[in-house]
Amino acid sequence: MKNFREVAAGKKLLKKDYVAIMMWFMGKAIQAAAAVDRAAKKEFVDMPDNFTFALSVMPNGPHMIVGKDQRGFVRYRGWDPEGKRIDLKMKIKNIEAAMLIFTFQESTALATARDRLIVDGEVAYACAVVRILDIVEVYLLPKIIAKLAVKRYPGWSFRRKYLGRVLVYVRTIFGF
Amino acid sequence: MDMPGYYEFCCRVKIISGHDAMEKIPDTLAQLNAGRPMIVTDKGVVGAGLIDIVVNAISDGVNIRAIADDVPSDSDLRIVNSLARLYREKGCDSLIAIGGGSVMDTAKGINIVVSEEADDLMKFSGANALKRALRPLIAIPTTAGTGSEVTLVAVIKDHEKHLKMAFVSNFLLPDVAVVDSRMTLTLPPAITAATGMDALSHAVEAYTCLSKNPLSDAHALAAIRLISDNLLKVMVNPGDKKGRLCMSSAATLAGIAFGNSMVGMVHTLGHSVGSVCGVPHGACMAILLPYGLEYNMHKNGHLTAELLFPLAGPEVYAGTPNEERAEKVIALIRRMNQDLYEATGGRHARFFKEVLDREGKEMVAKEKLPDIAKTALSDGSIFYNPEDLDYNDFLMVLEVAWEGTPLNPRSLSSIHSPSSIIRTT
Amino acid sequence: MRLLMYLPEHYEFFCPVKINSGNRALEQIPCELDALNARKPLVIAGKDAGERGLVDVIIDAFKDSGIAIGIFDGVPAAPDLKLIKELFNIYRDRGYDAVIAVGGGPVADTAKMLNIAVSGKPEDIEGCAGENLIKRPLRPLIIVPTLAGTGYEVSKYAFFDGRSYESHFLMPHLAVIDPRMTIPEDAVTTAATSLAALSHAVEAYTGSGKNPLADAYAYTAIQLIMEHLVNVIRNQRDRNGSLSLANAHAMAACAFSNVAPGVAHKLGKVMGDVCHLHPGLCMGMLLPHILEKQMSEGGYHIPDLLLPLAGFEAYASTAENLRARKAVDILHDLLKDLSAVSGGVIPRLWKDAQVSEDTLQDIAQKAVGVGASFDMDGCVKIVRQAREGR
Repeated sequence: MKNFREVAAGKKLLKKDYVAIMMWFMGKAIQAAAAVDRAAKKEFVDMPDNFTFALSVMPNGPHMIVGKDQRGFVRYRGWDPEGKRIDLKMKIKNIEAAMLIFTFQESTALATARDRLIVDGEVAYACAVVRILDIVEVYLLPKIIAKLAVKRYPGWSFRRKYLGRVLVYVRTIFGF
Repeated sequence: MDMPGYYEFCCRVKIISGHDAMEKIPDTLAQLNAGRPMIVTDKGVVGAGLIDIVVNAISDGVNIRAIADDVPSDSDLRIVNSLARLYREKGCDSLIAIGGGSVMDTAKGINIVVSEEADDLMKFSGANALKRALRPLIAIPTTAGTGSEVTLVAVIKDHEKHLKMAFVSNFLLPDVAVVDSRMTLTLPPAITAATGMDALSHAVEAYTCLSKNPLSDAHALAAIRLISDNLLKVMVNPGDKKGRLCMSSAATLAGIAFGNSMVGMVHTLGHSVGSVCGVPHGACMAILLPYGLEYNMHKNGHLTAELLFPLAGPEVYAGTPNEERAEKVIALIRRMNQDLYEATGGRHARFFKEVLDREGKEMVAKEKLPDIAKTALSDGSIFYNPEDLDYNDFLMVLEVAWEGTPLNPRSLSSIHSPSSIIRTT
Repeated sequence: MRLLMYLPEHYEFFCPVKINSGNRALEQIPCELDALNARKPLVIAGKDAGERGLVDVIIDAFKDSGIAIGIFDGVPAAPDLKLIKELFNIYRDRGYDAVIAVGGGPVADTAKMLNIAVSGKPEDIEGCAGENLIKRPLRPLIIVPTLAGTGYEVSKYAFFDGRSYESHFLMPHLAVIDPRMTIPEDAVTTAATSLAALSHAVEAYTGSGKNPLADAYAYTAIQLIMEHLVNVIRNQRDRNGSLSLANAHAMAACAFSNVAPGVAHKLGKVMGDVCHLHPGLCMGMLLPHILEKQMSEGGYHIPDLLLPLAGFEAYASTAENLRARKAVDILHDLLKDLSAVSGGVIPRLWKDAQVSEDTLQDIAQKAVGVGASFDMDGCVKIVRQAREGR
């Protein structure tokens, strides 16, 4: 029929790559912060053993999976959810919403308030994960950007913020 | 008015309101292709004679197959399952929920079980687990109110496994909410006060928290106006039909507002006090509302200031300088609590120390406050609060709300980092 | 003594439309389709939407979603049943399960008729013409408005092939208001559609069917139009302003789907037909004069209108007995401002629009025939006032 055509969904490769890299970095940084920061450590202590959460972009990724093993160590468990039991899924509804979050145009709180995310699992743990993400963002980002990403920029001691930042970066980059 | 960068708004419930709105139910059910409803309610509602009124209003037009009145004050999975069995046994094709929040939640839970022929309700918990319309559900609130007749959430407790299951879906919304003045004419004073303040807290938080949008604001403003015009009136004259209808409409409007814009720290703390100490929800809301506004003042004081208009009227609004309006709103809400305290002979508590159970025992022990603060950390409504709260912040607010001493917003500056103001939209 | 808020003794209200508005709203559609249990939408648009690049924006929004979309962008200005049958065949044969309409007017009407067809069969359409003849919910329908629509596309009404349709089931499940789609085309169209929305909202707010739920939509629509219309005419690149206007159109449609259309709507439509002007411009020009007449007859709800028109401060600082007058003056001023800011292109009075005296009687006759609640003389008087400016 004239004027009719079918269009397959295109791709947004560059944006997906950007978000994938940001998520990879964030996952490793969470692992690092859990080792370095007391508050982050405490959030994880309150979670059950083998607790695993994923931050994902719908419909097909990218993903960030972080889990606590039997001994209580927090590990970045990669970008592939296949075959893993995931207790809490925080799903970002589409790649553009993920871009708004990872370019700090919408903080995690604002993104939630704007229905950009779906939480699939116990809300109590989602609250903990958001607190953990906030801590990691303060470590990773300079104050001027972190203030866009978190609701309340904390008044940490010089030692915690700067020494911690060095440790988190070193651990993130070198992967331990 | 600020247009948010992004928002969503939806209320698919048909509303029928009036002094004889229930008489429309048979036609409404017929339009939904149903006519054999099961009534879900609780013993309190039956005892107040309300079920008789409903049955008289509708039995000519529908074939009421069952009346289930054993819904407890806290929604319970076992009751949901047993009532679903009753529904099937009696060959019902629709549900009529008559009651407060727990009855509404239970009816929504039953609806999931019977529509999806589920044996495990857990499978449908969380957000967006339902994929298609459920059986027709008509909601008749008997308090004014929780607003659950227009929300898409149901919370069901599994007392055996100590789990609270939350269900969130547009398909949970009742098809019709029937707001009829006869349902609240005999509402006892303490419950009128508590549920009225519950509705007020919904409207106020919807207006002042992060998910606000222009449509939910309009609903919230109308709700606040109606409550401020009518709550004390119906305390003094409980048989005021017009006043009761206004309060019920206000509760529905507030329900639509917060159903779309969520709530904030007043509910975060209120849920926790309710869960740890068993204090009724409305009582917690009434006590915490002024504190929530004080705590958040540095972030949303300009919004709180606007509420002076619906709360106190144009003359007071015009006569109050802008810088003083937010504080005046908070003072007015405390004044309302005071008036309700007097009107209920002391049963409506103004602070947590004053909350007593039926035997006169204190319900919120000071030693429990740390537990409550800890519980609050797990409540999702905190996402929508304009300011962050950690354990110490929660504890501080609980302590002052326990004593009844106001929070001084100016003294909070050491807690709130003044340079972290973010746009609330 | 405080003026209490009005609550009618009995009212009913229903609005099944979900509204998603703002930055990247289109990208949320895949999730919304999933919530409606749909996976394969058919997008319907007019040729102009394709030319203005709006269809490309939609295609872009579906990237990374994994969803293939069908696009038909040839809806003409006067679609017919033949077109519906062809679209029905495409929908059925290719397994589509939702309709997304881009824009208003004939596109939205086509989408609504198509939706009746695909929810049953094409032969059902004619039998649904009239009031409330559709008996059950239809298949998923999403509308993406542009500023060229008055909001009518979101309402319970449709007009197709010479027949009127009215049913809440025709309202879309979702209206997606995205700033990329709401860029104004030209000053006159924008003013016309917004004035139509304004007059619908005002009539819902002050009419006899007034109720708090319809009011919430009407109130917000009026506020948004008052805040943004003149600015958008002055600067058509005001994204936030255009988005706000599009919101107002949709909200006014929700209000007016619950309260019967008033005199401004009926008279304005007739005038639009007779004078070959956009009915929205006609409604806007008539509105203040109609309210003046109602004021002189009691006009119970007109003082409250000042609230959305001017805001809390202005309302609070205006004496009670002067509020109605002020409200009507604001509406007169709006027309003046629109005329000024558009260099006279947007007409304020009939004589600017070059409407002749003879047509007045014709208009009044037709309007009374349609059921405008004023009598012949009343109509003529109003139209003359709107022509002369008092």
